[in-house]
Amino acid sequence: MGKLSEAIAVLDKQGVLQAVEEGIAANLDPLLMIDEARFGLEVVGEKFDRGEYFLMELMRAAQIFQSAAGLLAPKIEEFHGKVQAKGKVLLGTVAGDIHDLGKNIVKILLECRGIEVIDLGVDVRTQKFVKAVEEYQPDVIGLSALLTASVAEMNKVVEALEQAGLRKAVKVIVGGGIVGEIQRSALKADHATIDANEGVRTIEGWIDERAIQVA
Amino acid sequence: MSDTLTRFERLERAWRLEEADRVPVAPILCYIIPYLGRISIWDMFTRPDLLVQATKQCLDIIGDNIDPNITTLNHLGLFGRAGWDQVTLDWRIWEHYPPDGNLPSLYEKTIIDDYDDVMRRGFSTILFNKKLNNGIHARNIDDFLYYQFEYPMIYANAWRKFVEDTGIPLLMGGRACHPLDMLQYYRGISQLTSDIFEVPEKVHAICEWFIDYETKRAMDDAMIMGAGEVPGAEIIFFVNGGPPGMSPGIFKEFFWPYAKKMVDNFVKSGFKVWNHWDGDHTPNLETIANIADGLPKGRIVMDFEKTDMKRAKEVLGGKVCIYGNVPSALYCYGSPEEVDAYCKKLIAECAAGGGYILGSECEVPWDARPENIRAMLKAAEKYGVY
Repeated sequence: MGKLSEAIAVLDKQGVLQAVEEGIAANLDPLLMIDEARFGLEVVGEKFDRGEYFLMELMRAAQIFQSAAGLLAPKIEEFHGKVQAKGKVLLGTVAGDIHDLGKNIVKILLECRGIEVIDLGVDVRTQKFVKAVEEYQPDVIGLSALLTASVAEMNKVVEALEQAGLRKAVKVIVGGGIVGEIQRSALKADHATIDANEGVRTIEGWIDERAIQVA
Repeated sequence: MSDTLTRFERLERAWRLEEADRVPVAPILCYIIPYLGRISIWDMFTRPDLLVQATKQCLDIIGDNIDPNITTLNHLGLFGRAGWDQVTLDWRIWEHYPPDGNLPSLYEKTIIDDYDDVMRRGFSTILFNKKLNNGIHARNIDDFLYYQFEYPMIYANAWRKFVEDTGIPLLMGGRACHPLDMLQYYRGISQLTSDIFEVPEKVHAICEWFIDYETKRAMDDAMIMGAGEVPGAEIIFFVNGGPPGMSPGIFKEFFWPYAKKMVDNFVKSGFKVWNHWDGDHTPNLETIANIADGLPKGRIVMDFEKTDMKRAKEVLGGKVCIYGNVPSALYCYGSPEEVDAYCKKLIAECAAGGGYILGSECEVPWDARPENIRAMLKAAEKYGVY
């Protein structure tokens, strides 16, 4: 592990920013530095999986990563021009529910992995999801909810995508405390999770798979 | 075997870590009462007479106590009653239940810009913050005064009458919020996370600053609700167990000291404390085991949402009463047989020797199947006899 990834792994913001500034001063390729920072995030994710870190540490690591990415963004453009996002994800909390903590964490974690996120916000009506899929053509749609009543709403979105002929074009993941208490067979999505880190890994896996198929 | 104790006596035994005639059962019923009683969320929050009437229509799902929905009185345990709802909550749709309407919920947003300024100038800096553009200045002074001084007494009298009529004690008389939960509401979880790592001394300072405000206001509410006269009104409902995802280290440094201090303040002032701590506190149980240190026996309940109840009994048994935790989804998507089996397991794991109240995970959802709640009440009678 390099200095940058090591600093992220121990949540040392000053250490991360210093490593980035040193890298910039040494004219290092900023994309390589981003990759190294992402490796640090992976280490944080592993610590989270092992129960050594908790959600706040995961969020903190993402915040630190974003600070580093903020310094590196202009350099990336200088070195490589405009860099394409590796995939596109549509996120939203379903109708009747305005809880957005989980959705926001997933959003920041996806962005740290170079994935573009279109966030439709909270209390999003079914047809708004359908229209957004038509408009943005995401790889994945992520539905978030906390309330028990929202489970039916999640299924309604999947049904509406089917009716609109869009179901095969996107993978659907549902997340939030409530989906962990529901039998998997009662959910129409491709994947359900209560773990932000695991959900992000699943989404990234789908996007990588799709990229290989396209290639 | 029929019940031989009153509801209040049964609960009292559990608080004191003694066996009663059977395990008390007390699902927390909040939005489901107005839903089944066919009143709107708006009425629930503004018409205590209608709320109490709706509650009386739901006696078949009420266990050994009733939540008087203090949240409707002080809106999530915030300080003032007349204006905070406008600042902190999403009140856009009051008439309907999801999906056509919302339950009142907090929007994540940074309301506190500067901790020092709040501590220097008080909460009026937030309440009258024009940047929020929430219509707070449109309310007239009569409205503020009515909700501050008259309405709480009207509210308390409605519930006092309910207790007299039904013999069902209140779950609480006042409601207090942990400083870290308040910071989550006022700063947003992302900003609070950043603060904890970057300006920990300021987080500590404002947590300390919050304590007096919050403890005194909760005790005032409990007195208005009839503490000492109305059974259950002497209980402070202490929410919410901190922001989700705290590590044990953050819990110990930023949550625990202020939680213990507030619990001590309440108990030493003669109140009981129902700690309604959401999230999974299994990693924190060894710390929580000290919650009753230095306090008289029988004054604390630990109400857990996702915490492992078997482990909670192992660590806290004989120290404090524990409460919990039938999963929310089971009420909505499970069958009475599944609820029965879950309750049987909880009772087997937690009830031995007393000090356990069979309860819900946080609260029973508004869309729960009533037959599932009735199955829970029956399970306490079937499996909980001592």
